[in-house]
Amino acid sequence: MKSPRDPGKLLGFRPGADPGELPFLSSWVPGLSNPTREVQGQAFPPSEFVKSSGFSNREAAPVRLPVHSLLPVSSPPFPLPVAPAALGQCRCSDGCQVEAVSPPSSMAVAVSVKTALQVAEVLEAIVSRCVGPEGRQVLCTKPTGEVLLSRDGGRLLQALHLDHPIARIIVACVSSHLKKTGDGAKTFIIFLCHLLRGLHTITEKEKDSLISENIQTFERRWKNCCQWKFISQALLTFQTQILDGIMDQYLSRHFLSVFSSSTKERTLCRSSLVLLLEAYFCGRVGRNNHKFISQLMCDYFFKCMTSENGMEVLELVDDCFVELNVSVIGLPVSDSKIIDGLVLHRDFSVYCPADGDIRVAVVREIIQPVFSTSRSEFVLNSEAQFQTSQIWIMERTKSIMKYLLSQNVKLLLSTVKQPDLVIYYARLSGISVVDCLSSEEVSLIQRIISLSPFVLPQASLQCEISDTALVKFCKPLILRSKRYAHLGLISTCTFVPHCISLCGPVQGLVEQHENALHGAFKMLRQLFKDFDLNYVKKANDQNDALRPCIYKNNRKSNQVPKIGNHSIHRSYQDTGIKNSDKLEKTQYLKAHSNLVVSDVELETYIPCLTLKMMPPDRVQTDEIWRCLPPENKRITDDYELLIESNSTRNSLTENPGIEISYENFQVTNIAGKGSMLPVKYKSLDTCISQSFCSSSIPAGCVLPVGGTFEILLHYYLLSYAERCQQLEEIVVSKLIASALLGIPKILYKPKKGSHSFPQIYLRALHTLQTSQPMISCQAGLESVTGKYHVLTSVLQCLTKILTIDLIMNIKRQPLKNCDQDSEDELQH
Amino acid sequence: MMSCLEAHKPSLCHSEPLTTEKVRAKLTVLKGVLTSCYGPFGRLKQLHNGMGGSVCTTSQSTVLLRNLSVTHPILKILTTAVQNHVSCFSDCGLFTAILCCNLIENVQKTELTAATTIKLNKHLLNFCISYLRSEICGCRIPVDFTSTQILLCLVRSILTSKPACMLTRKEVDHISALILRAFLHTIPENTGEPIILGKCIIVPLKGQRVTDSTVLPGVLIEMSVQLMRMLPARKSSALKVALFATSLSGDFSDPGEGSVVVSYGVSLENAVLDQLINIGRQLVSDRVDLVLCQKVIHPSLKQFLSNHHILAIDRVGVTLMEPLSKVTGAQPIGSLGPVSPSSYGNAKNWCSAKFGCKHFFHLIPNEATVCSLLLCNRNDTAWDELKLTIKDPWVLLGGGCTETHLAAYIRHMTHKEPGSILQDDGCTQAELQLIAEAFCSALESLAGSLEHDGGEILTDMKHGHFWSVQAGPPSAVNWPDLLSRCGCGVYSSQEELTWSFLRSTHHPFVPHTRLPQEALEITQQSAHSLTVDCLTAKLSGLKVAVETANLILDLAYVIEDKN
Repeated sequence: MKSPRDPGKLLGFRPGADPGELPFLSSWVPGLSNPTREVQGQAFPPSEFVKSSGFSNREAAPVRLPVHSLLPVSSPPFPLPVAPAALGQCRCSDGCQVEAVSPPSSMAVAVSVKTALQVAEVLEAIVSRCVGPEGRQVLCTKPTGEVLLSRDGGRLLQALHLDHPIARIIVACVSSHLKKTGDGAKTFIIFLCHLLRGLHTITEKEKDSLISENIQTFERRWKNCCQWKFISQALLTFQTQILDGIMDQYLSRHFLSVFSSSTKERTLCRSSLVLLLEAYFCGRVGRNNHKFISQLMCDYFFKCMTSENGMEVLELVDDCFVELNVSVIGLPVSDSKIIDGLVLHRDFSVYCPADGDIRVAVVREIIQPVFSTSRSEFVLNSEAQFQTSQIWIMERTKSIMKYLLSQNVKLLLSTVKQPDLVIYYARLSGISVVDCLSSEEVSLIQRIISLSPFVLPQASLQCEISDTALVKFCKPLILRSKRYAHLGLISTCTFVPHCISLCGPVQGLVEQHENALHGAFKMLRQLFKDFDLNYVKKANDQNDALRPCIYKNNRKSNQVPKIGNHSIHRSYQDTGIKNSDKLEKTQYLKAHSNLVVSDVELETYIPCLTLKMMPPDRVQTDEIWRCLPPENKRITDDYELLIESNSTRNSLTENPGIEISYENFQVTNIAGKGSMLPVKYKSLDTCISQSFCSSSIPAGCVLPVGGTFEILLHYYLLSYAERCQQLEEIVVSKLIASALLGIPKILYKPKKGSHSFPQIYLRALHTLQTSQPMISCQAGLESVTGKYHVLTSVLQCLTKILTIDLIMNIKRQPLKNCDQDSEDELQH
Repeated sequence: MMSCLEAHKPSLCHSEPLTTEKVRAKLTVLKGVLTSCYGPFGRLKQLHNGMGGSVCTTSQSTVLLRNLSVTHPILKILTTAVQNHVSCFSDCGLFTAILCCNLIENVQKTELTAATTIKLNKHLLNFCISYLRSEICGCRIPVDFTSTQILLCLVRSILTSKPACMLTRKEVDHISALILRAFLHTIPENTGEPIILGKCIIVPLKGQRVTDSTVLPGVLIEMSVQLMRMLPARKSSALKVALFATSLSGDFSDPGEGSVVVSYGVSLENAVLDQLINIGRQLVSDRVDLVLCQKVIHPSLKQFLSNHHILAIDRVGVTLMEPLSKVTGAQPIGSLGPVSPSSYGNAKNWCSAKFGCKHFFHLIPNEATVCSLLLCNRNDTAWDELKLTIKDPWVLLGGGCTETHLAAYIRHMTHKEPGSILQDDGCTQAELQLIAEAFCSALESLAGSLEHDGGEILTDMKHGHFWSVQAGPPSAVNWPDLLSRCGCGVYSSQEELTWSFLRSTHHPFVPHTRLPQEALEITQQSAHSLTVDCLTAKLSGLKVAVETANLILDLAYVIEDKN
């Protein structure tokens, strides 16, 4: 039995690998004191990595933080940190690296990789115990007394209510990532933590050399800042320019597909879907239920699907998931089942058993006429008039019901509460009524049977019913003493209506299963779409590895793109006006008096309007390589360069004020990040690449679980780094490559023997080197796009953290931030 | 998500919550409270709220758990799971809770990883369920609906397991018989598929003797003494009944969103009253004898009806509408327009009745599946149990025998054929042995907690049943003389059995599966002493207990939001 406390595990690593070449860095996870101390294996890079980038085989001294400084995870509970005090303590413990420009009283605190790492490590410690098939549950209580069970990273981070500014940045990044993909929060944290750890190791090494030079601390600080900016740019360049190429050129040859045939008609392969779902639920649902839930989901999906392509079904189920599932609390989970037909979350107001030809009509208003409608007046002149009008109301209600019956309508669905009189006449006519339906439920019904609600004419007694539909049955359904209306709709779309009744002993567990199922549908929906990569390969692409160093070129001609940007920017505005219907909002940020950067967000971007901005000095390089920033993707280089030039100037003048404004500027940008700059600048050469075939990850691409994606990418990044000449690229590639291994390391932690991580890793490397097919020891598949999204989101988050140098504590009532609101609007 | 406007207190995060001494202590306390309540000899708890309210004496899990304020999230999960189970099945609440506590406690002692224990617990659970559902199961009896014996035993077992009812043996017999009779009333005579049960209205009566409880066909409507006196003389012939769902008080219905302008001199009250009297006239001309109204009848209309010798009863309430409609066959009338003749119903007769200090109007039906059970001490649990039994006509042996038998069977199977439980999941046989031992001893100590008087618990080595003996047995014992019958009452001690102490370690033995036919026949004759449990409720309780235990064992962190 291997417990996490067992230090022998570390030693157990060694025999499998070459001890001389495998540096083994270990550190204590801060805040994890007794009894759950955790020892983490650090980077596990191959030998040449150590040589070139200077990762040393140095045993980092155990970093012990003051417990209050971070989120405590120890058994005696401590409150989570309050930012300034905590960071103040951090500074003490870490004196030589982090110094604030101003004295601590001003509450401005410098940010270092180390602080970020400490935060990330604590988050990682929590998250890593819930990850993968061996992950465990977390119980969250709400102040209202509700109890929620979860293994969902996003939910956990949310439940922690973190105070630390860096933690809040991370959480914000994770949540914007989740909004986009709905998956991968835990992987996000682990990966980020490993990246930071890698960066930290680099710094540690450089710090040593700096100390010997004995520079003034303050200058060193600026130096550090510049260095981070430098690294963050390199990361960005990597993400926008290198990553996609590697994905397309190398990784794609390992992709598997959930679709069984390669022809145009894609058919979903059941067995691969089972594998995919099992792997998904492994990480989402408690261990005693994941098999059952994934089986349930798979059955459900195939029952609902008529055509080969389930895209329409997925969209419908994802959109209307709440309406399609009924939670039953108090029964064991294993009693959950799939119910044929649609279960409405309401009981019949009137139920009249009927068989044969049952038609259904939908109404959105009260059937019984009223004395006066809004903004009108009804004048009663005599008692007889009152009586006759009451009789008229009765007669009319009756006649409408009669008419409905004559049209064979036996079931009336209503969004509003129908008065007693209507219910009475419905019962007399033998029409069942379900009223007070939510508009979501009604719109779901309309979507399934494409039925529009009927409108009551105001004047005449005759009413024309426009639309009715057949149903197979309608009957009450009793689930745990609660009554529901159960309809057998005859679908007109590809969705065959079925519902899931999810059972569980407690509400929290049912909720967890609901969320997991919903997430699975989201994941499938994304998987079934093609994903365009930010990479275009030319038909006659000769050299596949090398990227021309645009970066350098641009740096030299610092001033050019700025001017260019200005003018082009204006021209862009023009197009913006022309396409004003597509343009949601243009927002300007005045970061500096002479610098205007525009943040343009397009909600519905038409692909044919592919605008591109290429600075003159880059046009030539374009011939070989081109990076098309796709929608929702990242920034052009020029933009970064502007920042670069700006900050350099700042650092020269050493003006803290400007520095801060610059920082704010960064932060604001970051906040609006998920949707940031899908701008495609109008280019001088508007050649839309017909001759280039734009690459993409095709729909349904999967890889085996258990870190296959990470190990593959790790391998190809290293081999890329070998061929690369740019120092920063080498550093970044290797940094990312080694951080990627963090995930499989955690996944294989409880495994022993030939299934331990070093064994798996070496075997994988061997198969790749000898170009044999990869064989995964674990059954299960995962989506490639999902993994890819996590990777890019983490890199973006890291750049964000690295570009912040100062956290300022403001003691003031927070202002209502209009900018943020408008950005939120745009995101939806 | 990270709203700046709310002042958040950061959450508390505890890791490995189960390992802390505090949580363990809390679990032990809860378990102690629950076990002491378990079974027919369970001790009662007096719940006393310092803030006020009435004092309540109980040993039922429903009442106990509802009133206990549990603060720790883990205990909260446990108690909510049990409460939800009880609200579904109204039985086996304590069984579920104690089993869950026992499992958590025992499994923790094994010090295996959560992953392994959960996997094995699940396997064991599946194994138990398939055994209990299988033909060879040695602890279940089919329900024979042609005789009332087993059903009576079922009701009796439940009643006796509620010591807070404070019923004497005679009272238990009486109530069981009544409940069963009422239940049989609700089964329609010509049954098609599916069976739609009728309704039994339970009318609680306080301050009466338990033996005064009765079952009456039809519906009882409570009335005040004054109204009772106003009732006209009884008619001997059948009654024509009109049942109104709408208000007959003359209130003005919804005027709509706009405004209604009434000219001077126009009285809407008069207009509505005219309508009401019109209805009254129609009722008179249709020769209706009895008018029942869910809501209020206008006094003028009441007067009008009574002048015409029509009995009018209003404010019947919505709960009685459905039974009334069922009893009389009348359609509830929902409008003030002309009444269609088809909506009238019939009743055989009516009478007034007085039970204790309450007066009732008793509507006697011609033939219907509705009855009223006058209960002096209320007990619906037995009721739900009977309903469940119809759905799944098997009962399990009660009195701890099922638990001990199951434990013996699991022990035997893990020893002999571990492969049948272990489904190549990467768990070793040694791990299985450990967890199976924990599982079995959880079941056995559950059975053991039926004994509260310091007695010893034995199990026989043939059937694996539960035998209890009074405290302080003499050293040299002749067991067959000391013991009389096993917990459930199927076997007597005179059947050449050997016994061993339940808590002592003994070799796994093969418990006899498949109840022998002769044993069943004996029980048919002497069914009086048989203790049985409802299969559906117990199975679900078992599942919920193991699932909840697994859930709690799987927890890596507890995050408490302290806002």
